[in-house]
Amino acid sequence: MEWVIFGFLSAWLLVSVVGAVLVKNPVHSILFFLSSVLAVAGVFLLLGAELLAGLQLIIYAVAIVVFYVLVITTIPWEKVKRFEGVYKRELLFGLPVVFVLFSLIAFTVARGDLAEPIGAIEDNVREVGRTLFTSYLFPFEVASVILLVAMIGAILLGRKEG
Amino acid sequence: MLVDVVVTLVKIGVLLGLVLGVGAYLTWLERKLAGHIQARLGPNVVGPFGLLQPIADGIKLLTKESIIPRGADVPVYYLAVVLALAPAVLLFAVIPFGPGFELFGREIKPLIADVNIALLLVFAMGSLLVYGTIFSGWASNSKYAFIGSLRKAAVIIAYEVVLGFTVLGVVLLAGTLSTVGIVQAQVERGVWFVFYQPVAFILYLFCMLAESGRVPFDIQEAEAELVTGYHVEYGGMRFGAFPLAEWYLNVMALSAIAVVLFFGGWSGPNILGPLSPYFWFLAKMFGLVFFVLWLHWTLPRFQARDVTEIAWKIMLPLALANLVLTAVFLYLFGGE
Repeated sequence: MEWVIFGFLSAWLLVSVVGAVLVKNPVHSILFFLSSVLAVAGVFLLLGAELLAGLQLIIYAVAIVVFYVLVITTIPWEKVKRFEGVYKRELLFGLPVVFVLFSLIAFTVARGDLAEPIGAIEDNVREVGRTLFTSYLFPFEVASVILLVAMIGAILLGRKEG
Repeated sequence: MLVDVVVTLVKIGVLLGLVLGVGAYLTWLERKLAGHIQARLGPNVVGPFGLLQPIADGIKLLTKESIIPRGADVPVYYLAVVLALAPAVLLFAVIPFGPGFELFGREIKPLIADVNIALLLVFAMGSLLVYGTIFSGWASNSKYAFIGSLRKAAVIIAYEVVLGFTVLGVVLLAGTLSTVGIVQAQVERGVWFVFYQPVAFILYLFCMLAESGRVPFDIQEAEAELVTGYHVEYGGMRFGAFPLAEWYLNVMALSAIAVVLFFGGWSGPNILGPLSPYFWFLAKMFGLVFFVLWLHWTLPRFQARDVTEIAWKIMLPLALANLVLTAVFLYLFGGE
């Protein structure tokens, strides 16, 4: 049963990712990307990482993608840019990197000691919260300060003088 | 295993039938209510008290000619209907309508997904609604529709943030994100969280109105400026699906979540025996739905600019202050 769901989710994910790369219209591409993000959330749910699935939905599927969508839909693409064909040179350089990376990941996964759960975790949310505010407090605070600085920068850039 | 799947499928079927049926009949209630508020009678021709009006409307919408505007992006145009309807229906998956009961020796809970991230799913689905709006406006290739969709997107982004911080106060009190857990926390203490979190409740109410595009936040519709907003280029049942999702399903789902968060869910005096919890849940939920409809036909509309400014400049700071105060009080007097 789990394998059926996993197969379905992975097929969905692969189709959406390939679609996002191959489709010519930028809005269709972002729709495929959105679909792949939803599929990843499904995979997280299946693996029992409920909090990750929820955050994937809220942060990626909504907060981030929605700004791509807003920008992409407001630009009149037919006036700005035409489809220029497949980027051949980039493909030539990119493909070997993809293969090497994929075989490395496949090797690690096949060896089997990657990301094994340490113990049964009862409550995802509580556990993540506790870890964030005890062992990882400093990195967490640094990340928030970086985000705050980025936000102030964005406000400064977007502000109209006068 | 198989029985579990069957039970879940039955639950989904019952819920879908009920939700969509009641959603359709809310149109009748709304028109009747609007009529009486405006000193008219409302629908009263088709059937007794106009009760068959939603069915007549449905047949009319289903048999209409399907018109697609010139220059529309056809796949996205159709997809937008699904994107609008699906999250609105999925919201109901985490709503507990009553306590668990025994049937043929199995414990059955009257909700579909009892997950411990239920509230996160609520936020996620509430925000995913934005895509139906944006893409319907974009794919229609119409300026009115597109302006409407951008307005609605701005509203959803702003109010979803406020909503998140508002609800966190209740989450702190209950100590869980699960909807069942939150109701149980209120039942155990014998107090509805609306008494602990009045500010949060009022902010939630505003967010609910904004998210479901109801007056006074319905700038995306704004008949006077935008004709009718982002679904203006749709025809037939596709036109009907957008208000069904936004105005009825969404209002019902968010009212139900409000009942779970602030009004003790299914708790109430036992007056109908085993059916009592369901009665109380539905009574509270439709009380809130009625309140929303009432506001809709009484208040004027905000200016487009004001709606987002209120969210970012007034409601977000209030929600944050409420959250910090709740946390401090819990730390000082909570005592775990």
